[in-house]
Amino acid sequence: MALTILVVDDSKLARMAVAKVLGGLCPDWTRVEAANADEALAAMHEKTPDLAVLDFNMPGRDGLDVAAQIRGLRPSMPMAVISANHQKEIVDRAHALGAVFLSKPLTEPALRDFLAGAVRQIEAGAA
Amino acid sequence: MNEFLEQFLVEARELVEQATADLLALEREPDDRASLDGSFRAFHTLKGGAGIVDFAAMAHAMHAAEDVLSTVRKGDRPVTPDMIGECLTCLDQVVQWLDAIEDSGELPGEADAEADLLAARFAARAAASEGAKANSPVLGTAPSSATALAVLQEQIALLAVRGEGLEGRIASAGRLAANIFRHLGRFDDAERIAGSVSESLAGLDTTSIARSIESALERLADKLSPSQIAPVAVRPDPLSRTLRINAERVEALVSLTGELTVANNAIGHIAMLAQEGDNPLAAGIADEHRKLDRLIAGLQRAVLELRVLPMRGVFQRFSRLVREMSESLTKPVRLTIEGEDTHADKAIIEMLSDPLLHVVRNAMDHGVETCAERASAGKPAIATIHLRARREGEHVVVEVEDDGRGIDPNRIRKTVVERNLAAADAVAGMSDEALVDLIFMPGLSTATDVTDLSGRGVGMDAVRASVERLGGRVQLETRLGSGSTVRFLLPFSVMMTEVMTVEAGGQLFGIPLDAVVETVRIPREEIRSVGHAHAFVLRNRTIPLLGLGQTLGWAKVESDSDATVVVASTGGLLGGLEVDKLGSRMDVMLKPLEGILSGIPEIAGTTVLGDGGVLLVLDVKELLR
Repeated sequence: MALTILVVDDSKLARMAVAKVLGGLCPDWTRVEAANADEALAAMHEKTPDLAVLDFNMPGRDGLDVAAQIRGLRPSMPMAVISANHQKEIVDRAHALGAVFLSKPLTEPALRDFLAGAVRQIEAGAA
Repeated sequence: MNEFLEQFLVEARELVEQATADLLALEREPDDRASLDGSFRAFHTLKGGAGIVDFAAMAHAMHAAEDVLSTVRKGDRPVTPDMIGECLTCLDQVVQWLDAIEDSGELPGEADAEADLLAARFAARAAASEGAKANSPVLGTAPSSATALAVLQEQIALLAVRGEGLEGRIASAGRLAANIFRHLGRFDDAERIAGSVSESLAGLDTTSIARSIESALERLADKLSPSQIAPVAVRPDPLSRTLRINAERVEALVSLTGELTVANNAIGHIAMLAQEGDNPLAAGIADEHRKLDRLIAGLQRAVLELRVLPMRGVFQRFSRLVREMSESLTKPVRLTIEGEDTHADKAIIEMLSDPLLHVVRNAMDHGVETCAERASAGKPAIATIHLRARREGEHVVVEVEDDGRGIDPNRIRKTVVERNLAAADAVAGMSDEALVDLIFMPGLSTATDVTDLSGRGVGMDAVRASVERLGGRVQLETRLGSGSTVRFLLPFSVMMTEVMTVEAGGQLFGIPLDAVVETVRIPREEIRSVGHAHAFVLRNRTIPLLGLGQTLGWAKVESDSDATVVVASTGGLLGGLEVDKLGSRMDVMLKPLEGILSGIPEIAGTTVLGDGGVLLVLDVKELLR
């Protein structure tokens, strides 16, 4: 299934790193990038992504704030919040929003698991 | 360099800038939450970026800084100038790493020691602020050395504790200590410590490792007291980086601009021909050519500005070098660096390193006195060497100033005579200034001992030669008893040479205009024969005269008319070149000689003329030699 994935991170380098892993795992997917909360929410309306990967640590509204707003728009969209600091508080807040927590730097197995789970969820929802 | 590393450099520089601004703002207003969060986020993102490009050492150091800022955020620790200072030091290190990556295209190979030291400093700070007061040694050493000592003493204390985790403690203390000594340039001690780690691990006994750290510390303390040196670098202004361009693309642009200049010269030639032929369009062509000329000159300047690099790349190694030399000579020296953000053409930056190294070595070796000499002369115990760069119009000035003994003209006089480099009576009448200038003569050194560091007399002549090869000049100022300054005056860009054209033996030549003093007409009868050579007197000065055509191998043409002479001076040599005809002035892009011409020392290079002919540009220094 060719899906559209939203990648939100203020660091272009980090987005490049996600893109590289994604390119290997799901080469036919469409990738939409956003560098901050505003761009992410604009992309939500314009590109209607199927799932999202959000960096926690961003200036202005952080990844969890964005995740909460996305949740309001799309209650069942699969999301992952990524952070280099594995803090319980962040993990708990991500889980409370129904998002997966992933550690930075993002590894291929971790992203693969998240994507597989997301695809299953989307397929189940479509069926 | 792969695209990830390129993006990493761009982002990391921006983040360093942002973190610096935030930290400075935080120091002014410790309660400013936004600055605190901003600096934390910058270190955090730097850590993330380092992780993405697999730069583990930097990620490690950033993590340590992030931890400190994180405790401040939680309110567990106040904002102190020391804490801000440590974070800024950490950013300085990042900049050095980034510069190294930019230079080599790869991650720095030996960043672990620096990262460990940074992390250890943060750890020591954390320990100190928690009341476990770090045992700071009373050596009056540079802060980094002091912290290193405190950290090492902590390791010894840690090793003395019995109990679990012994293996891990031995390994980590050993690694940290070895890295610190490596960082301080004490490789033998680092090796010894690394060796005793395996010994201690084998017996699960901390005696061996603790003892080797202690004895290395003692040696370090002995060493540190006489030479307490801390390079004082002026923090670089935050760089505004907007665009990164591949060097090859810039080169392509430079070479296209060069061809454009050649084409423009051709148009100039046609414009001149049109005027001679009374062409009605001549005035219009000449006008348009002048405009084109101006625009191309502007374009060339702009293009050459693209090919500039900061001095930092050359300067940064000197902190370390001076520190090492200072230790091996047991002369305490402080190095200050100014103007490392001064830019110059890439070619200049790349060739500057060796001559500068010679000069700094000379300053350390011959200029700076021993501790005892300084004490008896009533000078401060720690000598100072200033390394400076600045832009002055079309020039870049780089200077090395020491506060050492200066150069004694009488000693030069003595040495020159002793070594039979010149006759005693010739030297006796020389001014002090002229004597000091002899330091640039091959084979002269006034150091009483020959040292490993700067050898005997090789150096200043080579320094002058390489700086002049770049189109620059070397100046030496010395104040007996209070120090010397060696100054390089370098062109900002190396591409353009202003030449004057002359005709000799039916051939056109270019003479670099900076070597031309004046042009004069000398009546034939005023030219005197001195043996086989000729000379003339100009304003009471006897100047040797060379027939340019003959010197380059054409037959001598006898003439009774006045001689047209170009008086030229370069590298301290003055002479007259007799030419048949004087030509015009032009800016040319000098190309080095290739193929069959490359063996001719009198020719500095060639350039293509407006009419398609090749102009040979003379090396005046070779001619006058």
